[in-house]
Amino acid sequence: MNHQNQGLRDKKKFRRNMRISLGIFIGLFTVLIVYLGYSVIVYGERWFATPYNPRIQHSTAIAGDIMDSSGIRLAWTEDKKRHYHPEKDVRRAISHVVGDSGGFSMGAETIFAKQLCGVDKDIFSRINDAVSGGSSIGSNITLTIDSALSEYIYDNMNARDGSVVILNYRTGEIIASVSIPTFDPEELLSGEPPEESSLVDRATMGKYPPGSTMKIVTASAALKANIDISYTCKALEVIEGQRITCVKKHGKNDLKGAFAKSCNTYFAMLSLELGGDKLSEAAQDFGFNTDFNFSDINLYASSFENSLNKGDIAWAGIGQYKDLITPMHTAMISGAVANGGVMMEPRLLKKVGNESETQPKEYAQVMDSGAADKLKEYMLEVVNSGTGTSAKLGIKGVSMYGKTGTAEFTEDGKIKNHSWFTGFVDDESHPYAIAVIYEGAGFGSKQAAPSAAKFMKKALEG
Amino acid sequence: MTIRQKSASAILVLMVLFVLSAFGLLAFRKGTFDVLAVLCGVILSVFCVFEYNMLKLAFKHIDRFVLLAAMFLWCMGLIVLYRMNPETAVKQFVMLLAGTIGMIITMIFIRRSGDFGKWNWIFMVVTLALLASTLVFSRSVYGAKNWLDLGFFTFQPSELAKILFIVVSSYFLATRSTIRSFVPYMCFTAGCVIMLVVARDLGAGLLFCGTFLIMFYTATGRIWLTLAGLGVLGVGAVGSYHLFSHVKLRVEVWQDPWSRYNNEGYQIVQGLIALASGGLLGTGLGLGMPQKIPASHTDYIFAVISEEFGLIVSIAIMIFYLVFIVRGIIIALNARSTFDALLVFGCTAMLALQSFIIIAGVIKLIPLTGITLPFISYGGSSILSSMIMLGVIQGVAVKNGKADEKQLEFMGGRME
Repeated sequence: MNHQNQGLRDKKKFRRNMRISLGIFIGLFTVLIVYLGYSVIVYGERWFATPYNPRIQHSTAIAGDIMDSSGIRLAWTEDKKRHYHPEKDVRRAISHVVGDSGGFSMGAETIFAKQLCGVDKDIFSRINDAVSGGSSIGSNITLTIDSALSEYIYDNMNARDGSVVILNYRTGEIIASVSIPTFDPEELLSGEPPEESSLVDRATMGKYPPGSTMKIVTASAALKANIDISYTCKALEVIEGQRITCVKKHGKNDLKGAFAKSCNTYFAMLSLELGGDKLSEAAQDFGFNTDFNFSDINLYASSFENSLNKGDIAWAGIGQYKDLITPMHTAMISGAVANGGVMMEPRLLKKVGNESETQPKEYAQVMDSGAADKLKEYMLEVVNSGTGTSAKLGIKGVSMYGKTGTAEFTEDGKIKNHSWFTGFVDDESHPYAIAVIYEGAGFGSKQAAPSAAKFMKKALEG
Repeated sequence: MTIRQKSASAILVLMVLFVLSAFGLLAFRKGTFDVLAVLCGVILSVFCVFEYNMLKLAFKHIDRFVLLAAMFLWCMGLIVLYRMNPETAVKQFVMLLAGTIGMIITMIFIRRSGDFGKWNWIFMVVTLALLASTLVFSRSVYGAKNWLDLGFFTFQPSELAKILFIVVSSYFLATRSTIRSFVPYMCFTAGCVIMLVVARDLGAGLLFCGTFLIMFYTATGRIWLTLAGLGVLGVGAVGSYHLFSHVKLRVEVWQDPWSRYNNEGYQIVQGLIALASGGLLGTGLGLGMPQKIPASHTDYIFAVISEEFGLIVSIAIMIFYLVFIVRGIIIALNARSTFDALLVFGCTAMLALQSFIIIAGVIKLIPLTGITLPFISYGGSSILSSMIMLGVIQGVAVKNGKADEKQLEFMGGRME
């Protein structure tokens, strides 16, 4: 009798366990359904719009026109062939933004293929197209870029490798984005092999050490933590065996002065004062280590790594160690300072067909407006009396604000410097932020800063 | 008292309409009228209606919902296979007929499931021999040595081993209770999994482990021991990640398939692009590009369905699997003997885990391991083993029904 009771109890337990297992299976399949739905809805657009997607190149649709912000045709289809802007220099200046119809590069031709080829049409009109056998016509799209300005920038970069980005910091519109080495889509499609690494858009995919431009982030962390140290620069500071140097002795400075003179040792000490966690947090706030997943551009993530070593943290605070950033992101950071701490999502698509214009999207409030105002003051000081005097515009009523950067990297065993400048202008009709980098070109103040002034002046004319 | 079984004919009618319209659409897709497509659609519809009614007549207590769920899944498979290559669809249909026979034979065998215990040791040896045979005589397909070429027919011994594994597991778990008496069973399981991993058939290895753990937990209720088993599985997984370069590669490709697009990541990337192209409603049957995805007719068939039928139908497929699982467990709950209950539970669990592992791999939830999607993927051994498992579930359902009927008659009621 006892034995039977035991059996019954076991049976009850067994049945309960089966129900629990059923719950596990239902749970597993629920995870599947939710994950599938989530990933297709959130990442679907990006997965679709890659150069690897054969559907884009094999589309039977006649792709629509691509135009710049003033309505100049940049790409169109005629006699079943894709044509690009008639001038070679314009084609080369905007090739990374516009892309190509062969799926070699990651430009508008690929990212907006859905609109251009009409793949975004609903299923009924697509079935209709398939049954009738005729080719459908995609939509025309208008981009935010200014092709004339892009050509000017391209011509005046004087074939130096690097990238220039100009953004509207109020709306996030990309006004110009030029990257060298570049390619000509006409030549590419006719089968000519592209120059080495020319298909990579340095503006969005080039990850460079930010150098002193990182001091914007470090200074913002200090402002947030309300830390302002006073320190006398002796041009050398050794932290856990790592030598941090300045080009000259900057003397005694507070945050503002050190920022304007771009004093490395000051910022190294400030970084230690702040600590790795606070620095990391600030970098995170500015968008480092995040997957941007923007709808209009394929922007690579910037990276910032914390460390337990004090020397590493000091280097990280002045934009070396493992810090990496894209020129586009650098321009976004300057833009956020100008825009009261609000970083806008960069946009490339102005409108599709005759639909209404796309709306600005906020990316994040990356710092409070008080800190942004302080940083603006610092960045004005850089151009007025600091390292960035060569970026002065010389225009009445409009000032340039900025930060120079000289980022060390090693190539073939030799130490070289990327030349950086990033900044913005306080012109309400042209609220533009800029980032300029020349690869291995030397000091930011000597190369990138004067270029930035030149390009900005041109942009303000338009 | 009269108990009337719920009628499911309405679902069958909808399914036939779906099949006919799909094949009708396929008939017109190349501009000319494809008579074969219409013929296939009609044959498949007639087959479904005929099979449903014949089985209902022959086995009064068959579970109609399990049958219909499986039917929908294999119809879906045949439609997509026909769309990609009519020849493979015809082959698959022939295997489906063989599988149906296998299912009916299994249903008859299950009546005498009480005798399986006598054969237990033989089953164990055969299972191990089947798995070992692939290591010795196999040829490698997609980096996994899991195919046996018999000249006239190639088959995957691990598919047959799956069924025997469930039978052996059910026997041990139904008859033993002390930990010590489980030792031979645990060694047996470990042997199976090790051979699968050595043969690089990671998907099947994972499937065996998962089935073992969930069956062990359900039968014994020993939660700590099960968690310990899960821990061993985790340690084994981490260990094999460091030991075997192919396992490490799988994980790396899973983390970032895009950067390895030109070689190992190609399949996953094309699969994701297909999912994205389908969107919510799909591109429409025949308008996708399945030819760009490697293994589109076997492991990756889910991506093909997602592209052409959209998110809605992919989710519907998962819900059909869930219907199948829920009904399977209900049958297991009603089983009169523990052994039968475990058989049904094991088959249901294995089919559930198998579909989970491959779908999760395709949608990049877990690292991809190549196994087939039950009832849908192309593959003779796969469809045969799935059908035999369906036969196990149905066989026990019929036994349950008969026992219920006897009880009812005893109380003076009847069942219609």
